[in-house]
This record gives sequence, C-alpha cells and structure tokens, in this order.
Amino acid sequence: MLIVLALAGCSQEARRLVPGPPQTAPNGNADPRIPAYQENLYQISQGGRYFAWYGCSACHGEDAAGPANLADGDWRHGGGFANVFAVIGERHAGQDYAARTPVEQRWQLTAYVRDLSRHHAEKRRRIMLDQKAEPQGSAWLGPQ
Amino acid sequence: MIPDRAHLDRLDRSWRDPPGFWGFLTTVDHKRIAARYIVTALFLMFLAGMLALDMRWQLSVPENTRMGPQLYNESFSLHGSTMLFLVSVPLMEAMAFWLVPLMLGARNMAFPRLGAFSFWLYFGGVLCLWIAHAADITPDLGWFEYPPLSGPAYSPGHRADIWAQMITFTEVAALAASVNVAATILKMRPPGMTMARMPVFLWAMLIASIMTILSMPAVMLVTSMLIADRLVSTHFFSPAGGGDALLFQHLFWFFGHPEVYIIFVPATGFVSSIVETFSRRKLFGHSAIVLSMMSIGALAFGLWVHHMFAVGLPRLGNDFYTAASMAIALPAGLQIFCWIATVWSGRLRLATPMLWVLGFVATFVIGGLSGVMTASAALDLQLTDTYFVVAHLHYVLIGGAMFPLFGAFAYWYPKATGRLMSERWGSIAFIGIVGGFNLGFMPMHFLGLMGMPRRVYTYPPGMGWETLNQIATLGSAVAILGGLVFVANALWSYRHGQPAGSDPWGGSTLEWASPSPPPAFNIAYTPVVRSLTPMWDEGPGLPAMDGLGLDRREVLITSVTAAVPLYRQKSAGPSIWPLASSLAVSAMFIGSIFTPWAIAIGAAPIAATLTGWFWPDRPRAGSDAPRAGA
Amino acid sequence: MAWSAMKRRIALVPGAVLAALTGACAGIQSPLAPASDQAFALHDLLILMTVVCGLIYLLVIAGLVWSVLRARQHAKRAAAAPVDDSALDRSLIASAVIIVTGLTVLIFGSFLADRALLAARAEKAMMVRVTGHQWWWRIEYRNPATGRWVETANELHLPLGRTTRVELASNDVIHSFWVPNVSGKIDMIPGRRNMLDLTPRRSGWFRGACAEFCGAQHAHMALDVRVDDPVAFDAWLAGQAEAARKAQGPGEALFALHCGSCHAVRGTPANGRAGPDLTHFAARRLIAAGTLPMTRGALQGWIAQPQALKPGTAMPAVPLRPAEADAVASYLAALR
Repeated sequence: MLIVLALAGCSQEARRLVPGPPQTAPNGNADPRIPAYQENLYQISQGGRYFAWYGCSACHGEDAAGPANLADGDWRHGGGFANVFAVIGERHAGQDYAARTPVEQRWQLTAYVRDLSRHHAEKRRRIMLDQKAEPQGSAWLGPQ
Repeated sequence: MIPDRAHLDRLDRSWRDPPGFWGFLTTVDHKRIAARYIVTALFLMFLAGMLALDMRWQLSVPENTRMGPQLYNESFSLHGSTMLFLVSVPLMEAMAFWLVPLMLGARNMAFPRLGAFSFWLYFGGVLCLWIAHAADITPDLGWFEYPPLSGPAYSPGHRADIWAQMITFTEVAALAASVNVAATILKMRPPGMTMARMPVFLWAMLIASIMTILSMPAVMLVTSMLIADRLVSTHFFSPAGGGDALLFQHLFWFFGHPEVYIIFVPATGFVSSIVETFSRRKLFGHSAIVLSMMSIGALAFGLWVHHMFAVGLPRLGNDFYTAASMAIALPAGLQIFCWIATVWSGRLRLATPMLWVLGFVATFVIGGLSGVMTASAALDLQLTDTYFVVAHLHYVLIGGAMFPLFGAFAYWYPKATGRLMSERWGSIAFIGIVGGFNLGFMPMHFLGLMGMPRRVYTYPPGMGWETLNQIATLGSAVAILGGLVFVANALWSYRHGQPAGSDPWGGSTLEWASPSPPPAFNIAYTPVVRSLTPMWDEGPGLPAMDGLGLDRREVLITSVTAAVPLYRQKSAGPSIWPLASSLAVSAMFIGSIFTPWAIAIGAAPIAATLTGWFWPDRPRAGSDAPRAGA
Repeated sequence: MAWSAMKRRIALVPGAVLAALTGACAGIQSPLAPASDQAFALHDLLILMTVVCGLIYLLVIAGLVWSVLRARQHAKRAAAAPVDDSALDRSLIASAVIIVTGLTVLIFGSFLADRALLAARAEKAMMVRVTGHQWWWRIEYRNPATGRWVETANELHLPLGRTTRVELASNDVIHSFWVPNVSGKIDMIPGRRNMLDLTPRRSGWFRGACAEFCGAQHAHMALDVRVDDPVAFDAWLAGQAEAARKAQGPGEALFALHCGSCHAVRGTPANGRAGPDLTHFAARRLIAAGTLPMTRGALQGWIAQPQALKPGTAMPAVPLRPAEADAVASYLAALR
C-alpha cells in the first residue's frame, strides 16, 4: 500500500521542465496522455496561471454566473477532457483561442478548468490571493 | 571503593536491556540512543555530501546542461535541510546524550523514555524527508522556503508541506532532547559538583539546550503557519489577504540565528575538553569561557535581522543589528584566546583530537571574520545571497562545528569502543578534510566578490567564474575523500584498533573514570567531586558515594547550585511506549500535510500511547523492597 | 567632494590588488569594480574590513603557531610546572581591548557607509519602477518631460552623474535587484515598495542579477544595465516613449494573434501584460532576461522552443509554420 501511495504521489507531484515534442489535440476522452496533465498538480497550476494571462478570468472569474461559472460542475458540452478542450478552442465565438493559445497550454487550461469543480472555492481563493498582482489579460487597466 | 563481582552483577541485571530485537525497540539506555543518532546522522551527512558533490560537478562548467533547474533546486534544498535540521543539531544532541551522564557520573538521563522518544521522532523526520525524496516529491525551494514562493499559488502540491512538517518532527525531537539534557545537567550532578566545578562541556550543553528550548517554538510556529496558509486558507503570509511575507522571515530567523549557535556552542564544549586534556593543564580562563558562552547564548537571540538586511527595513534598525552581530565576535574571540592561552602555557601532546582543534581555530576564525564582514548592514547588501555567504556559512559550520565534532569523535572513540583509532590514518583524514575544505570553499569568497549569486543551477560563460568553480569542485572532492578515510578508520579501528583502557588520554573529567566501553550502568559508585578536574586532582582513588539501590534502576538527584544530594529517583526502564507514541505522533504529523482533520483524528492514538507511557506501574518512592527488573 | 574622490583613488589600490587576484578586471557584475557613489562607498568599506579582519586573522594564527611550538617544547618536560596565570589574565584583558577596538572601528565604518548610501540627493531624481516577475524585469520610467510612464523590459538605462530613484516591487514572489557595480541589493517583495538611489559615475554596460531565489529559472534572470551620458540617455528614453513603427508584412498580425495575449507592442493590437513589453525589442542587447544574445538565430530558437533554452519559463512554445515563424522573427527584429 505504501508503494501504491508512493507511486500515486509520484505522478501527482512530478515536474519535468524539459521541452517536449509539439503537442497535438487529445484523441477523445480516453487519450492516455490525459492523466499526465489532469492528475499532475504542476500542470494544473500552470493552467491556472495561463487562465489569468489569456484573459479567461475576465469573464470566468469568481463571481461569474450561469454558463460562465466553470466551478459548478455543470458541463453543457460534456465534461470529458476532449470536450472541454474543444470548447476552449472552438466554442468561444469571436475569440480565436485555438490560434491564440498553443496546444500544450490548452491541455494545461483544460486540466485546470476540469479541476476547478473538484475543490472548495477556498482553495481557488487562496491561490488567487497570492496571484493578485498578476496581470489579467485584457482586464488590465494600465499602470498605476 | 572497589566494587566486587556481586555488586557489578546486580547493577548489570537492573540496568541491562532486554535481549534481541525487543531490546532494540525498547531501550532507554542513553548510550545506545546516542549511537543511533550518530550513525543515522553520519549516514545522512554522507548523503548530503553526495548531493553537494553533484552540485559542485554541475557548477564546474558554465551553462552546464547535466542537471536541469528542477533537479538542482531539489539538490540544494535537500542538502541544506538535511545538514541543518537532520545532521548538525542531532549530532550535537547525540554527543550530549552520550556524554552528559558519563561526565556526571550518573547512570542515565533525567527522562530516559523521553530520550528514546526524541530519537524515534527524529527518525520519523528523516523518513519524512528522504522517503519523499525517493518518491520524487523532494522540496525544492531552499532550506528556508520564503513565501510567497512557498505559498499556495507558486508551489503546487505537497513539496513545501513535506519540508515544513519535517521541521516540526525534528524540532519536537530537539525540544524533547534539550529538556532532557538541561534537566540532567541541572539536577543530576554528582555531590560536590557545584556550578563552579562544572566542566565547560556541561556548560556548553546546558546553554545550547536552553537556547533550543527558547528558539525552536518559533520555527515550529512559522512552518505550521505556512502549512495553514497552504492547507486551510489562512493569510499569514499573503499580502493581498492582509498578511505579510516578511512575517515569515522574522519568525524563521528568530529561530534560524540561534540555531547556528546551538550548533556552535556544543562545539566549544568539545574544544574545551580536548584542549584541557592535550595541553595537560587546567583550562585557562574557565570563568571567561563560561561567561562568553552565556553571552553568546543571550546575544544570539538579538541578531536575527542580519539575515534580512536586504529586505528594506528601517536603516537605523539595521545598524543596531550590525552592532549586535559584530559584538558577538567579542565573546567568541575571548574563548579562542583562552584556548590558545591554555595551549601556550601547557605541555602539548599533538594527537588526532588536538589536530582537529588546531584545524578548527584556523578555519573557524576565517568564518567568524567573514561573518563580521557580512554583519555590516551596508556591506551585506553586496555580500548576501552570493557565494561569499555560502563560503562564510560553510566556514563557520564546518570549521566551527564539524571539525570539533571530528575531534570529539576521535577523542571519545576509545571510551565508546575500548579501542583507539589509528593515529596515522587520522592525520591523513585530517589533512584531506581540512585541506580539501579550504581548497573548496576559500575560492567561494572570491566568487561572491566577483558577483556570483547563490542558488543558481548554472552561470553564463565569460564572467571569469570558471576557474574558481573548478578549484572549488576539486577541493570538495578531496574533502569527501578525506571524510571516507575518516569513516574507514573508525570502522577498521572498531575491530583492530589498539586496545585502550578507561583513560587513554589522561583526561580530567569524570567520563574517564568509567570502563571503556562503559557498562549499561555507566559507573559502579557515584563519584564525589571536589574540583574542576577530578581525575587529575584525586590521583588513583576517586572519592565515591554509595547508597544507590542495586536491584532496581535508581539515580541520584542533587540540588541545582550546590549539588547537595537530595533523594534517590527511580529511573525508567525499557519501554515500548516511546516508540509507540512517536509512531502515533508521526502519523498525525504526516496526515496533517494532507488534511487538517488529521490533527483531530490523530489525537486519539497519541492520547492512547501517552496514557500507556504515564500509566503508573511502580510503588511510591521510598520503598526499598527489591524488585526484579523495572 | 575632493576628499571622497581622493579616498576613492587610494582605496582603488588595494581594490586593484584584490581585483588582480580575482581576475575581476572584466568586472561587469562585480562589487570590486565600483561605478557609482553607492558602490564606491561599499567598496571602501570592503577594503577597510578586509584589512582589519586580515590583521586579526594573522594575529590569531601567529598566536596559535607560537603556542603550539612553545607547548611542544614544554611537552618534553616530564612534569607540569606550577601554573601562574597572571600574565595570561593580563593578556586576556589586552585581547579583549583589541577586539573591542577593532569591532568599534568596523561598526563605525559600517554606519558611515550606510549613511553614504542614503546621501544621494533625490530631489530631481529620475523615477524608475522595476517590477520583478518570474523570471524577467518590468521597467517603467516616469518620463520627466510628459509625466507619463514609459515601459520597457529587461534592459535598464541610467543617466551618468544623475541620481535615479528606483522603486522596487514584485509581481509574484520575492526577487532581489542587484547590480553590483552600481549598488548593493534590495529585495523586491510583494506587498512592499522598496526604494534605491543610484548615482552612476562611469558609463558602460553592466550586468545585474536577481539575488533572491525565485523559482526554477532564478539562474537566468539577469538585468542588462547601460549607463549613458545624460544627452544619450534622454534620446534613448524619448525613443522608448514612442509607439512601435508601423510594419509591413504579415508578421505584425501573426504576432498580435499568437503572442499578443501576453506581450505588448504599443501602437498595435498586441496588449498583453503577462510577458515583457516588446515595443522596442530589437534595440536591446539580450533576449529573455540576459539568457541569449540578440541575434536572429537566437531569436528564432527562442520563439521556436523556449523550454529548451530556459526550461520552466512561462513562455509557451508556440507552434508556427516555418514561414510564419520567419515573419514573426523578422517583425520582431525590426522593432527598434
């Protein structure tokens, strides 16, 4: 059991800072690459930073309501990894996120977004407090 | 009084451990516990040294791609955390555990089971950090993980929590050990050993223990606050939440500065003992040395801001801490004068322990002086966070603590094992370690002055840093080879060393009165002390006191200042409860990395094991009826 | 002023010896090659401390060697001579006096140096705000002419002979601003604003580094610093204040689409704030906070695969077709 715990811990905390081959879109909701992102805390955390930098938090912030609320676990277009991935890239009319966000980063964003509903709002809030000074994409109003 | 066979047999029956594995798990013999501490810590020192060699190899060449940033950051974090929390302080505690009862002519420490508990909990901390390393969840933010870098946003996962909880383990263990040592020194001295007749070694251990008790709570508090920030959304260190990133630094360094003196002060105790014995005269300036130690102990609590000179605190305040940080050089300098004066006026015998003391003076003073340079708030703005400070801290910690420790190891090895270490290989190890260390770390002063910052996994070419880095790598490799020779000497001498009697060096203090190696009960009769150097002044017949029971474990309690015998105290025998309760506490600590509920749930097994520990199983004190075992 | 200039010249002698020993003649990132009032004050203090501490060390070693030799000599005697410690007691007091004197000199010297660091008159100081990010520097000048903020990144220009007041802040974790030739370091702490006054006295290029461990790429967070005479500096600042020149070709549009979420080029739709401002990118000497030289090859390599050159950096590897990558690189290379 210790070994299982250790192995589970391994992949969750793994952090490989090396360049990889160019990434491709996920192959359906059972793509074997998915756990390396969805179960990995570093990838999810990076997704959280890009979430702010690409301006997602402007519309999908803490007080978003209805479809913009990503933390309620209500997936209108399916909650599988590939579903959410496709929504980010293709279903934001007017914003060409498929071109603006590299595929690798969209994997991280997808992992982050799907992770949001699995945790308390508290956890998101304490992370956001630390990142409060980070610029928020088009929500940035200029230097003070 | 010469003890007869029957006397010794009855003592042995009362004091020896149960045989086999059960004895291993339940022992409360301070010597066995200290040996475990030392073996574990020396092994960890080897591992941390390997990490250091890895880092030095990486830094030999600019823009080296052998180690990536993640691996390097993990290496220096693990190296620093291991050396400071799992090696240095535990080794000093272990030397206290082993030597304090022997030097007091006592049979065990004041709280035997607490001693076992502190080892098991320390071992839990070792496992916490190193099993995490084996599972590739190594903390990677340095040995002091400043928030917000270690906060919930910038350090995802549990690496920072593992580091913080390892500290909790080791600090509770250190607290337990220090309380034990302080109580033993204050209340279990032999009759006649007034505070004025207490050897400097015991003063050093007493002062270090009191410093530990006063400073450890700060670090336990701050790491628990960090875990709380990461786990339960407190905002202690989050500026946007109303907290302050500097609060961490103040609380951490309030502990962190006394910590390094907790490591240094016992080393001054070792040096004092060795200098006295090998100069063959009473230590010069006993009062000066003791008062210096006390001032170091007190002053150490007023210096912590010198780790924060670059943070932007008010300048006049910084200058106050400059003055205080430089002032601590006075007592340290006076101690060095007293040791040199003892040698000057003595008849020197240059054996391996004394060689180490010479190496200590030559090396530690460099570290102390580079410390005086960094103590200047203004100059520190150029020196802090560069390789200059890396050089300084290694000179004071290795020169000031490790060299005396190696000397102490060579000095008391014959007492522990009954055999002497080889002098020739001891000298070779000494030359390797001291020469290699200086070759390795002196260039780092210059690297810092040439602008090389610390904690960098590589550096650009063309800065002029390559040659010095390569010399540093070479020196470190030589030092580690010397270290291996030292260990090989110790292992070989265990079986093949020249047999030593109870007093091979002609020492002055009471530990040399017991046989080598000491039996489980340490000494047959309680000695009576009439001077600072009882072994020299009493000739062949040390006055002793009889009266402690032979058929149950008893120790003598004396008064704090005048060491007048007060009463006989039953001493705890072997018990499984220290191991059981440390397992329960470990489970709670590890659980609380993942969920705050672990504290509530974990309290139940702890309460159960503590109940077992304190369950009364003995008649009231004063009963003389012989009882078998404990 | 003349006294401090003369002091400086005297202090340079042991400084030069030290520099020769350490081969720090190149010294673009070294406290041993001071180039500003502040760095000179610290350099003088360094010399004072090295001399005093060196003397003390020699005394201690001399004492130790003498004691060992004397005591070895006395070891040949069989029995101990009666011990009279009165001479040693007097020496103990003497050594205490020496130590206290030495420390007092050093404490006073340190205090004076600290005052010198703050002596710069900052009434008409140029205001610069430097914000630390993981792992680059955002630099904002308060343009004295217009009162508006001019933004650039990773390359700090300072006017020679004038005092610049640098306001230090951090965007995420604790960083530290350290340009050793120009001043000591001051930490950049989120939630705090620290101030640093700089008065450069020598023109040229210097290198700074982040001096507080800030994460994976702390090693590659260098600051390129240029000290210019005031005329050249004003011209540079005026150039930085302008928006980017209108560019031909598909590069600008591609850049705005793929890179504009994080990078800003004033005068174009790219207005991201997560990464460095690139309005006058090609006028800089280095790429990625001192990691790479400003060459076409390095630029294309950086755009293609930043993780290979600075693993862990926040800049993603944007997949572009070769023609697109060429166009973007050409566009950036023209942003002077």
